[in-house]
Amino acid sequence: MSQCVLDVRNAQVRLDERLVLNGIDLAVAPGEVVAVLGPNGSGKSTLVRAAVGLIPLAAGEVRLFGTPLSRFREWARVGYVPQRTTAASGVPATVREVVTSGRLARRRLFRPLTHADRESVERAIELVGLTEQADRDVEALSGGQQQRVLIARAAATEPELLVLDEPNAGVDRRSQEAFARALRTFVASGRTVLLVLHEMGPLETLVDRAVVLDAGMVAYNGPLPVPLSVAGLAHDHVHGDVTERGLFG
Amino acid sequence: MSLLDYDFMQRALIAAVLTGLAAPAIGTYLVQRRLALMGDGIGHVALTGVAAGILTGFAPVWTAALVAIAGAVTIELVRARGKASADVALAILFYGGIAGGVLLIGLADSTPADLHAYLFGSILTVAPSDVWTIAVLGAIVIVLCVGLRPQLFAVCQDEEFARVAGLPVKLYSVLIAVMAAVTVTVSMRTVGLLLVSALMVVPVATSQQLTRGFKATFTLALVLGVAASVSGLVFAYHVDVAPGASIVVIALAGFALAWPVGTALRRVRAARINGEDPRLGEAHVAAESHPHRHSEQCGHPAVEHEDHTDYLHDGHLHAQHGAHYDEH
Repeated sequence: MSQCVLDVRNAQVRLDERLVLNGIDLAVAPGEVVAVLGPNGSGKSTLVRAAVGLIPLAAGEVRLFGTPLSRFREWARVGYVPQRTTAASGVPATVREVVTSGRLARRRLFRPLTHADRESVERAIELVGLTEQADRDVEALSGGQQQRVLIARAAATEPELLVLDEPNAGVDRRSQEAFARALRTFVASGRTVLLVLHEMGPLETLVDRAVVLDAGMVAYNGPLPVPLSVAGLAHDHVHGDVTERGLFG
Repeated sequence: MSLLDYDFMQRALIAAVLTGLAAPAIGTYLVQRRLALMGDGIGHVALTGVAAGILTGFAPVWTAALVAIAGAVTIELVRARGKASADVALAILFYGGIAGGVLLIGLADSTPADLHAYLFGSILTVAPSDVWTIAVLGAIVIVLCVGLRPQLFAVCQDEEFARVAGLPVKLYSVLIAVMAAVTVTVSMRTVGLLLVSALMVVPVATSQQLTRGFKATFTLALVLGVAASVSGLVFAYHVDVAPGASIVVIALAGFALAWPVGTALRRVRAARINGEDPRLGEAHVAAESHPHRHSEQCGHPAVEHEDHTDYLHDGHLHAQHGAHYDEH
């Protein structure tokens, strides 16, 4: 059996005594694009956060590239895009500066940026279509553009596994399409993607497999389209844009 | 006789230069993390340390450093737990720091007036042995703030991302707290414990009026910090006021000047960006691939534009032109 990029076994997560994940199994093979779907509060965000070690497990195990999370050190193989509404902080930062921190998993202390670092930062900015904005303050960008900055930051790591937590939440159509194009380029190079979505949008054709969560358990794990019995779970929210084609019709 | 001929003034100037660099250097990270008031809290706690030094006969610089570090690490641990009660816990720490300081000074048979030099700075109190302590500690803070800028930037920008990048985020967070505490201690002879936070925050606030990147903000804040610190000290020498007050007033004057300039700069930049946008010119620009036909039903607001209807789409206007949409 080929080694899994991500292997989650019987994962349980408690937040404030509440069981948020109740025995999740999820294996992601190299080159797969897996979407995690489910209603609000089903634990989909918790699952990916636990998968990259941001939330401790109450029981079960997570392995990244075959190594248990507690012993995993090769963080340059993982790119993470957290769920954020903004890429800004209390001090101005340019797009290029934020994306450059994507190289940290590969950089040593007290060393300047190498030529390779600079090149992959520029490539990542180009990948999300923000080359012209590279020297602008991220705070001056639109919400969708800021989300693309965060995606570029993860891409600059040149990871084998990209984990994205709701990259399309509150993002305009134009940025969603720019993101879909970027992801297509990324996947074409044989790399693996795990992403939390609350709607497929333009990504539908890219996704190989859907995992639908409900109340902290896996309700469906298989190819698209999601069967009608669980489709309601994967598609629970009200679309703001009436022209948006929903996930299943 | 020039002011540089006085030994005490030379020592005070060395302390002022290091303070002017170290305070905004660590202050930039505190502001980035939205912890601008942390320096204030540490200053309050350090007061207990100063009083403990006076009471026990140890050098107040060292006792203040120890207590300030303990207080700063406590603040960081409370913050990292992210509980709703964190701000109350911090407030308790601040009051405890002031009250403890005044209490210990009383026990040492001194009066709170003896603390005045530590609260607002005093040119005459930089002893020769202090200069070395200040120089070494200040230099360490500056070197770490500059050398670890990529790591500290990432930790302060987005803690979760930094953790997944494999950075020891807790360690860096504690390091920032400890460096802030050390800076407070280093600065207490020049700006004083109650005003040191201003020298951490105000140059950064001034700097970011004029810049749009982190490195530029950081560098300019250091320049502004040294300028305020040295000129404030010289002013205090000539008119005999507490240097902390003159340094902070000069720093604030800088901010008052930079603020309108910053507002104008942002307006010019916004106009230039718009001017460069081809969609606003006369050129014919087709919208990128378009998923649907705009109509009354599509949800995009319609705008009447001369002889046709534009649709407001993602902050710009689309107008139908044959089979595609033009940007208007």
